[in-house]
Amino acid sequence: MSVALLFAVSGLTSVGIYLITARSLSRIVLGFSLLGHAAVLALLAAGGPAGDAPLADHASIESSANPLPQALSLTAIVISFGLTLFLLALARRQHVLTGDDLVEDDIEDQRIAHLEEVELGSEHDLSDKELDGEDADS
Amino acid sequence: MIWALLCAHAVACIAIVALGDRAGRGVFGVAAVPAAITTVWAATLLGGDEAPTAQRQWVEGLDLSFTFAVGPLGALMTVIVSGIGFCVFVYSAGYFSAGTPGIARFGATLLAFSTAMVGLVWADSIWTLFIFWELTSITSFLLVGHKSTSAANRAAARRALLITVSGGLALLAGFVLVADSAGTARLSEMGAVDGTTATVAAVLVMCAAATKSAQVPFHVWLPGAMAAPTPVSAYLHSATMVKAGVLLVALASPVFADVSAWTPLGVAFGGVSVMWGAIGALRQHDAKLILAWGTISQLGLIITLLSVGSGKATFAAISIVTAHAIFKAALFMVVGEIDIRTGTRDIRELSGLHRTMPLTFAVAAVSAASMAGVPPLLGFPAKEAAVEAVLGLSGAEQWSVGVIVIAGSVLTVAYTTRFLLGVFATNGEATEVAAQRTAMTAPLAVLGALSLVGFIFLDQVTKIVKPAATQVNKKSDVYKLIQWPGLTDAFMISAGIVAVGLVVGVVVARRSGSTPRPLGARAVDSLIDAVLIGATRLTGRVQHGSLPVYVATMAATAALAATPFLWAIDTDALYKWDSPAQAVLAGLAVATAITAARVGSRLGAAVGLGGVGLAVSGLFVAHGAPDLALTQLLVETVVVVGFVIGLGHLARQFPPVGDLWRTVRIVVSAMAGIAVAVALAASASNPTGQPPLEAIAQEGVEDGGGNNLVNVILTDIRALDTLGEVVVLLVVAVGILALVRPQKADSAAPALDAEVTL
Repeated sequence: MSVALLFAVSGLTSVGIYLITARSLSRIVLGFSLLGHAAVLALLAAGGPAGDAPLADHASIESSANPLPQALSLTAIVISFGLTLFLLALARRQHVLTGDDLVEDDIEDQRIAHLEEVELGSEHDLSDKELDGEDADS
Repeated sequence: MIWALLCAHAVACIAIVALGDRAGRGVFGVAAVPAAITTVWAATLLGGDEAPTAQRQWVEGLDLSFTFAVGPLGALMTVIVSGIGFCVFVYSAGYFSAGTPGIARFGATLLAFSTAMVGLVWADSIWTLFIFWELTSITSFLLVGHKSTSAANRAAARRALLITVSGGLALLAGFVLVADSAGTARLSEMGAVDGTTATVAAVLVMCAAATKSAQVPFHVWLPGAMAAPTPVSAYLHSATMVKAGVLLVALASPVFADVSAWTPLGVAFGGVSVMWGAIGALRQHDAKLILAWGTISQLGLIITLLSVGSGKATFAAISIVTAHAIFKAALFMVVGEIDIRTGTRDIRELSGLHRTMPLTFAVAAVSAASMAGVPPLLGFPAKEAAVEAVLGLSGAEQWSVGVIVIAGSVLTVAYTTRFLLGVFATNGEATEVAAQRTAMTAPLAVLGALSLVGFIFLDQVTKIVKPAATQVNKKSDVYKLIQWPGLTDAFMISAGIVAVGLVVGVVVARRSGSTPRPLGARAVDSLIDAVLIGATRLTGRVQHGSLPVYVATMAATAALAATPFLWAIDTDALYKWDSPAQAVLAGLAVATAITAARVGSRLGAAVGLGGVGLAVSGLFVAHGAPDLALTQLLVETVVVVGFVIGLGHLARQFPPVGDLWRTVRIVVSAMAGIAVAVALAASASNPTGQPPLEAIAQEGVEDGGGNNLVNVILTDIRALDTLGEVVVLLVVAVGILALVRPQKADSAAPALDAEVTL
């Protein structure tokens, strides 16, 4: 396997992950796009070495590159294209609604984090008046 | 027959649920039918040699099957479980008023418990036993929490469930170890085991028995469980479920006979419980709680005797199990009737009941005397047997068990006296009493009479108890229950016990605040609360709501998971490059990507993205994939245009980011990149075969009729996938259209919000 191709896959993945951990939705879109590139290159690299274009009338089958990963990659490119555009539309929508394109913390998760205080309160109410037979004197 | 009976229980359960509350107290009539049939069937087995078995394969190859075998002990327990069950069902019909809501739910759950309990006492395979063991815990939870509107009841039910099911877990672990070292899961085939594994298993099984039988320090759930309606207390928490632990100790003691830790552990659990339970009973004012704490004490006595393992002690233990089930169920029913007819169970409020409720008083007096071990009642010969068993021991064992039995018995007489005086004696103005209910009075009268009848026909009782005890311990074969032993040492000791106990009981009858305060339920509850709060805190910490941190966590985890691939890399499978152009383009792509990530303006980032796309297209060309290169160029152009249009309204610069988080992101993304490269290199180092180039070329040219193999694959070989791909694009297009349509959608959105807030 070509180390140069590996380097490209690895570098694009790194930058992609770096970008999708950002708060700004437009950066996340960028990140997804780069991850898409990395995935396609990984598919090609896994399919075998470089060669001639797989055209049956122009090159012998022995010297041409593996056509199967190329076909899969075409699908991948088109799907990641669709995904990128859809994310862009989402970012735009976010901008229309809130004025920026930042990803906010999940409200439901924050509610769960605040449960702690609520539960503390109710549990204490409960343990004060229970029937365990040991409060008979008090 | 075993299957038929279990099915009868299940059918009756379903019938009760189907009938629902409109059947009123009739549900208990339905429930009593299978209990009655089971009692009669088991009664025919008593004292006989016949031991019916039943088996059904569950998982083949795992030695997992439902296996039942009703030996003498099983038959005795069945008569107790189903017989008292029958009485309790009749009693419930009197306890509940006709229109009580949830009466069908109660009846069905109580019968479900009864089913689980007979399954438990019939089980031969330890896995079958475990399943029914857990079922009794669950049904007990439902019954304790029956009046679920009260927070105290819910807390009590939760406590009972958590303690008994943690015991269940210990039991499962112990059983796994036992099955492993004994080589079989059948109790009837299991020989004695020893060694370290067996010791661990013995400790686990004993702890499980202690949780179920409410032994100190696991006893705290039982007094709380008194929140359940009284029929439940009479049935589960005195006569049957708490005996499951005792039964477990009885069944396991032949298996653990060679484990040296078994006896001391059982004696320790039992001994502490005898004292603690009796002390607890002496300081309660609620008549039901006096009995509950008394149950802890009595169960402690039984477990002590069973763990000792001498023939006489085992015989005494089984005798006490029988006597206890009868008198304790009767006493609970007495308290339930008093509760219903006077509206209170507090011994400080009750007065003059011996005159106003004569029949109930008679039953209570007989049963309490049986509990105290006074002749001529069934409790007396059972307690005599226990004292005899102590006299038969020697050394330190005699000393320790003797103290437990004698001191425990004295305290038992004391709290029994206090119970009787407190509930029935005249103490100021007589309490008002409502009319008698036959359905309640009849079963408690029957159970009360049984203590007496059992003593009169003591030889018959011996014939029933002896085979059951012999099943546990072969040496029990020679003993029998004796009505009148004469002036033996044991009898003198018994007389002394009763005399001292009476004095203590009369003295403390009216003053109870001075007794020590047992450790309680509050400690357990705060432990449970602490776990719950800890869980909430942990969830709050882990599930913080920040999407970037979630993504980073996942990426880091995935990267670390790829570590093993490092050892699968074969460096011979790697080479520098396919062509120098590839290396240059790869460098260019990565460099442009880094620039695009670092650039502060959105437009710059969009241009950078285009640059990466170009470089990747170049890589495609260098790899021999012109179709990909063409598609990539087209796609990249549209994406960059979309980027500029879509985000054109946003501020030009990205918002600033904190330094620490930035460093974390860089580390995580570098890890992820390396992990992907490592995984890919590992996959290249371990090829599983050659690509089917010939076949694809032949099929493409001959069947597909095209020379561009990539196109042929897309349009012929994977035509359906390509159709799906087109559909995805269509959906995306529709989605984008819906999202970016400006006016209509925006005016609709606030209106929707308003509706939601309403």
